[in-house]
Amino acid sequence: MSSKMKFSYYPGCSSQGSAKHLDESLRAIAPKIGIELEELDDWNCCGASVGHIGGGSLPNTALTGRNLAKAQQQGKQDVVTGCAACYLNTHAGNEKIKSDVKLRRQVNDALSAADLSYDDDLQVRHMCEVIVNDVGMDKIREQVTNPLTGLKVAGYVGCQTVRPFSSTDGGGNYDTYEDPDFLNDFTEACGAEAVDFNLKTSCCGGSVAVMSPDRTLHLIRDILQAAEDAEADVITTPCPLCQTNVEMYQDAINKKFGTKFNIPVIFYSQLMAVAFGMDPDKDAALKRNTIRARKLEKLAKK
Amino acid sequence: MTAALPETAENRYDLGFARWVRDNVEGGDKLSLCMQCGACSGSCPIGTQMDHGPRKIIAMIRAGMKDEVLSSNTLWNCTSCYRCTVRCPRGIPVTSIIQDLAAKAVEFGYADKKENALFAKSFWWSTSAFGRTDERLVTARYYFSLGFLEGIRRGLANLKIALGMVRTGRMHLGMPHKIKDIKGLTAILARAAEIEAEEANDEL
Repeated sequence: MSSKMKFSYYPGCSSQGSAKHLDESLRAIAPKIGIELEELDDWNCCGASVGHIGGGSLPNTALTGRNLAKAQQQGKQDVVTGCAACYLNTHAGNEKIKSDVKLRRQVNDALSAADLSYDDDLQVRHMCEVIVNDVGMDKIREQVTNPLTGLKVAGYVGCQTVRPFSSTDGGGNYDTYEDPDFLNDFTEACGAEAVDFNLKTSCCGGSVAVMSPDRTLHLIRDILQAAEDAEADVITTPCPLCQTNVEMYQDAINKKFGTKFNIPVIFYSQLMAVAFGMDPDKDAALKRNTIRARKLEKLAKK
Repeated sequence: MTAALPETAENRYDLGFARWVRDNVEGGDKLSLCMQCGACSGSCPIGTQMDHGPRKIIAMIRAGMKDEVLSSNTLWNCTSCYRCTVRCPRGIPVTSIIQDLAAKAVEFGYADKKENALFAKSFWWSTSAFGRTDERLVTARYYFSLGFLEGIRRGLANLKIALGMVRTGRMHLGMPHKIKDIKGLTAILARAAEIEAEEANDEL
């Protein structure tokens, strides 16, 4: 891999809100690992977990159709996103539109209302899959100028980054559903220690945790407890909703269960930015975490 | 819109509802493959809080229990973790079935006042009005759709979280982010809804 790989980059709505630090750190590390991110022009929401309930099935799929039509105008390069929900919806929608003739016709009928069409054979990929399959750990290690020696990291993968596509051909066959290794590989490539963390693919409650936290706080408590038992300094995750849920509900969990959790939850891309010796604020966006990762901040190059 | 629901069967083992699910629900055509092993229910992170786990919901669909299925809280506790889907030995897309049944429950008036349906409506309001999810407005609109007092209560309960998000610059302040071609998106969504409605009429 000599020249830069170019992608149409779909940041997703959380990149302008709760997961700004994922977007900022991804954009910062991309050039270092040979990736050019060209933002998808005028992208829209993917529909997340509830779009089909609020808007109906076809309108929800049309959201993906519009993004794909915009990507098609932008070129043949693969579409990449860092967000688990954007990936799930856009990847699944793309595969369905490509394989289901009737759906493709209906989506294109809807798109024609804005003079758009999608008849290409684009690939929609997750940033982690691209890092595993196209970039490779050697390239990550090459960029590490500030190894995170002594930092203990619990790799929390969550759900939709791996399920249901990580072991499919379309999903790049990049890891397993139950016990994926990629996040620990990222951690160790950065010179940190990946602790043994047995809830790596347990669910944080997803959007149910946003709408009715009382129903799912115990799930997050279990994840935090496992990280604490493994003596992790930080939890790292690829998923915007996991990051926010596991971070922001720690007070509520402490109140409900009498625990004393105060564990930072950071994105793998923030870890990489620090390990690459980049700016802790501008590139790693460490100030965006409501529970500051003090130990990681101390390791960062000033 | 979807083809009209069948009448509730007098005989519980009428297959009318199962056939309707097969023809109208995403993944429904795979229901007949279920061997009731329970890997789905055993894998579900909050199956214990469901009226009926996914295995039982599938059995109930096949038994024609339309009202019980569509009014069950199972549809609203699914977190879309896809563990059931990847573990099902028969390859049944359990998550898709449950998620699409949730949409049908709203469409046919079984769940209008359920928290999650209100959340979905707040979400879609932002998506269709701006082309993007404004997390702040979706949350506020959802809280207040639960009633004025409940809106205030939830707002206060989450005040510290909100302030943390503002402090770290993760809650957008000011006008919502809006896509440039909102007119085009509105036209696409309207046409898609129209196609879906025509489809339902075809099947009646």
